[in-house]
Amino acid sequence: MATTTTPPRSRRSTSWLFAWQLKDIMLLVVLGAVFGFLYWALVQGWIALSVATGPFGDLTQHALLGGWLLVAPIAIAIIRRPFAGVIAEIIASVIEVVFLGSAVGPLLFVAAAIQGIGSELPFALTRYRRYNWLVYALSGALGAGLVFFYSAFRSGWYGTDLLLVRLVIQVVSGIVLGGLLAKVIVDALARTGVVDNFAIGRARLDR
Amino acid sequence: MSVATAPVRDSPLARRNPTVKLAVLFVASVALLFVLDPVTPSIVYLVGLIGVTVGGRLPLRAVLTAQLPFLAFALGVFSINVLSRPGTVLWQEGPLRVTVEGLVVGAALAARTLAIGILSIGYVLTTDSLALMTSLHQNARLGARPSYALMAGYRLLQQLPGEWAAIRAAQAVRAPLRRDGTVRRGAASFGRAAFALLVLAIRRGERMAQSLESRGLGLQPRTVWHPVRIGPIDAVFGVAVVTGLGILIAAAGLSGLLSGPGALF
Repeated sequence: MATTTTPPRSRRSTSWLFAWQLKDIMLLVVLGAVFGFLYWALVQGWIALSVATGPFGDLTQHALLGGWLLVAPIAIAIIRRPFAGVIAEIIASVIEVVFLGSAVGPLLFVAAAIQGIGSELPFALTRYRRYNWLVYALSGALGAGLVFFYSAFRSGWYGTDLLLVRLVIQVVSGIVLGGLLAKVIVDALARTGVVDNFAIGRARLDR
Repeated sequence: MSVATAPVRDSPLARRNPTVKLAVLFVASVALLFVLDPVTPSIVYLVGLIGVTVGGRLPLRAVLTAQLPFLAFALGVFSINVLSRPGTVLWQEGPLRVTVEGLVVGAALAARTLAIGILSIGYVLTTDSLALMTSLHQNARLGARPSYALMAGYRLLQQLPGEWAAIRAAQAVRAPLRRDGTVRRGAASFGRAAFALLVLAIRRGERMAQSLESRGLGLQPRTVWHPVRIGPIDAVFGVAVVTGLGILIAAAGLSGLLSGPGALF
């Protein structure tokens, strides 16, 4: 498959890296807005739940961490361009902080950039060509794993008893909710036909 | 959501350049990330609370209500550190244990959350989102296409609660009913509605991109409606806040109150 797609790719290789179309940018913004809104709706219920479960609420919260990573793999799989994941995460965080008033504050920009880099690395290593379960799972694991060291510093988990337990819960959550679930959503989106005009739709035609 | 859509009332803080304010907010937050004693962030919080309510001409009640999510977040961080940080044991009951180190670090992290929180609230409550986009485009050299895409995204965000309600209502019409006639709803219905919202938003985003392009977005040269400028007062404001924070942290360091990330390990 790779050999058949080489000619058109090399023809536009000079501007390939920076030739973002407006609809691609718009898609990142839209994904950021929708997930920002859904996170915001979830967080409202979440605060009540974590107050109800007391200190253990914090641990159960880790189980849902992967959901925070969804934007990046979805954006990469649809647009298939370098930096799509990082930019999508940062836009989503800007929407959460500036428009929705997230309780983390502007430090969320930093976390989002780290998450985006982690989630994007496995896709970048396949040169944005492979979209199987393994790559998605690696993306979720790396996204969760990289940002863990930053949030452990920010929330003071270093030096506490449960550091390793937290890391394991977060990485597993990243694989399931931030990786595999992203593939389920992307495949479902592709079936509806709304993303046919993006790179993912062209890739399906090439096949 | 109500935070983002409320009109911004005129005040000294609201008249400052949005990009300068965002930069100051970010610098202050990152600086506080490396402060790990309870006293310094508490002072920042008090100064911030006064600065935001006076400088933003905001009612104290509105500022305190906006702080509730930050308060919940701070409580979570506090209780975690109190209960799971090893050190000098202060109180023990079965698996639960409170340590001195846990209390100190927990209080520091909670105070930091509230300090960053009051600054973020001050920012959100005194900044018009469209002015921010214009300012990012003009002052921070963000390209025209990303800026206008973000503006359109902001508009979409305002419509999302309405669309969400419409989708939920449409699904409720077809949903199976309980015996008493109420709609049966579970997590699966939430997922279905979320997916429908995603599809709708992607479709609308593509249409918005086409209409922006057909109206000549990306052509040069551009003019801007309601231009936003950086004035001398903005520069004074930025320098003053950052040096003020620097002096405060330096004073805390000289008086021995300050402790850095070493407190964690």
